[in-house]
Amino acid sequence: MNFKRNKKVVLILCALMIFSLLAGCGGNAAPDKAAGDTIKLGFLGAKTGSVANYGIPGEKGMKMAIDELNAGKGILGKKVEGIYEDNKGESSEIANITTKYITKDKVVALVGDPCTGLTKVAADIAQENKVVIFSAGATGADVVEIGDYVFRNTLLDTVAAPAVVDWMINKKGWKNLAVITSGNNGYSTALTPIFKQAIAEKGGQIVLEDTVNDGETDFTAQVTKLKNAKPDALVFTGYYTEAALIMNEAKKKNLDIVLVGGDGLYGQDLAKLGGEAVQEKVIFYAGFSTDQPSPETAKFLEAYRAKYQEEPDMFSAQFYDAIMILAQAMETAKSTDPSVFKNELANLKDYPGVSGVTTFGADREPIKSPVCLLTVKGDKFPALLEKIPVQAK
Amino acid sequence: MFWEQLINGLTLGSSYALIALGYTMVYGIVQLINFAHGEIYMFGAFAGLFLVLSGVNVFIALLGAMVFCMLLGMLVERIAYRPLRGKSSRLSALISAIGVSIFLSTLMALYRGTNTTRYPEIIGNSTFSVGSIQISSLQVIILLVSALLMVGLQLLIQKTRIGKAMRACSQDLEASSLMGINVNRVISATFAIGSALAAAGGMMVGIYYNAVWPYMGTMAGLKAFAAAVLGGIGSVPGAMIGGLSLGVMEIMGVAYLSSSYKDAIAFAILILVLFIRPQGIMGQKISKKV
Repeated sequence: MNFKRNKKVVLILCALMIFSLLAGCGGNAAPDKAAGDTIKLGFLGAKTGSVANYGIPGEKGMKMAIDELNAGKGILGKKVEGIYEDNKGESSEIANITTKYITKDKVVALVGDPCTGLTKVAADIAQENKVVIFSAGATGADVVEIGDYVFRNTLLDTVAAPAVVDWMINKKGWKNLAVITSGNNGYSTALTPIFKQAIAEKGGQIVLEDTVNDGETDFTAQVTKLKNAKPDALVFTGYYTEAALIMNEAKKKNLDIVLVGGDGLYGQDLAKLGGEAVQEKVIFYAGFSTDQPSPETAKFLEAYRAKYQEEPDMFSAQFYDAIMILAQAMETAKSTDPSVFKNELANLKDYPGVSGVTTFGADREPIKSPVCLLTVKGDKFPALLEKIPVQAK
Repeated sequence: MFWEQLINGLTLGSSYALIALGYTMVYGIVQLINFAHGEIYMFGAFAGLFLVLSGVNVFIALLGAMVFCMLLGMLVERIAYRPLRGKSSRLSALISAIGVSIFLSTLMALYRGTNTTRYPEIIGNSTFSVGSIQISSLQVIILLVSALLMVGLQLLIQKTRIGKAMRACSQDLEASSLMGINVNRVISATFAIGSALAAAGGMMVGIYYNAVWPYMGTMAGLKAFAAAVLGGIGSVPGAMIGGLSLGVMEIMGVAYLSSSYKDAIAFAILILVLFIRPQGIMGQKISKKV
């Protein structure tokens, strides 16, 4: 073997490696130098995997908000830059990405994640590093409790359920209610106590409490009991599949009843499985509807449709709002330092966003208004039934 | 309310009975728990759905689904069980059955997705009152069709040549083959008949609850197995009684105890029966099966 030639090759390879390293450093150095002139915001959300349905529209809403800011004066006269990594909906990924955003990109705020569990992972890291995290979707418990850098903007069940129960009892006169829980569904077992407390507070009566299980199809016994209890309406806290099957069974048993529930009923399959049985008979709440938009929402809808040629959803609206609320807080605080503008953020009152009006309560939890009541109407899903305003206490 | 719940229970129970019959017949002859039987039931529901959606009359669709599953059941027996028979232990056949069960449900999940599919309302439903109780016409139809199928099965077993051959095989497979009975053909026929009944059960359940999905066979199969054991595995009247009583007990459990215990009731009964009366309600200690 020609040893010398081999040595040459090795030398050339080493040189190449060093060059590429230098080039890499050079590439990284540029944004660092510009860090003083741009404000960086990190996107937390999945673009692939099982929860990509929340992340993809969220990213679009965030991009649109940043483009709008940059078309104007930016934030405090500085350009805004969004960084969009894909966390795939995995805890290990979101931890890595959050750390990268904070230590390498030096973002001032993280926007996302739409999921509660993932938000909590990122929030722990953000709180420790004193960077603001603003979730546009996490509805679960113990999120803002992580610390004073943690915020969220989405319709919480503790806000929506009392508003819906108030509407049922005081507007519709449905005082005698049946409550059905899906026993093996964590979402349902958590939502039922919220509904029950609201029913007790608003002066309603629970005439029947029952359970079903996700994955079952035989609800004949429950519906027979329901029919005998004669409630004015049924509160079902589970998911859309079981709701549709319960309503099918009710129709078979000639039971004319309205089923009311949370956003767990928000699924196309509700209409597909329920058919005629759910037509204007199943009502659920959600934080966003493209029907009857406020002036802010109408403007957003128009711009979004023009930019992406598709309909925005709750996540695109909430990510858009998150960016705009952060921008407003930084402008008011005249600072991009998270430890300063987080206080302005906590004082947010009656912010007229595209996903509704937002106020942060004393506990930094969002109170959103209005609550949209949605239903199935003809081929339209979801169809807006009514918007109920919520008073911030 | 009691009588209405009783009818709910009998309707649910008749679907368990139709599946349990397949378990019990196959067990009676080859001593195999055919765990793929729940999936045959699921395929029956989907086959019926396809036929109905393509515009076929509902009773012809029911027949079509039954014929389709007959062939499927025979195919499963030919591919997955026959090569193992006599050559390896019964345990291998049991594992093969579990494999077929997973294969079939996953196949359907790949083809249709795991979401629940709506069954169209093909039989107009109306409720009518008998005294103070309300019964839906659909329940009556399901009970009638199930009863008809079960009577038909009894006639087939008691009055026909193949029925006689099946009874002979259940008593002694080897002796039957020495007497000139084509044992493989009898076993094949047993699978075919059991599968057809399961298909009928699947399609009626689809119509009754308006919903089918690829994994519907798993739980239904286990419940039907529990029903077959309750009635006395190997005994045809036992499977009918076992299925009906399991359905009624489950519904009564939901009606008067709690829905959370629904599945627990089915399996608690299974365990209790195994303890107290291992041969089941109709089972006999000295085997005279099918």
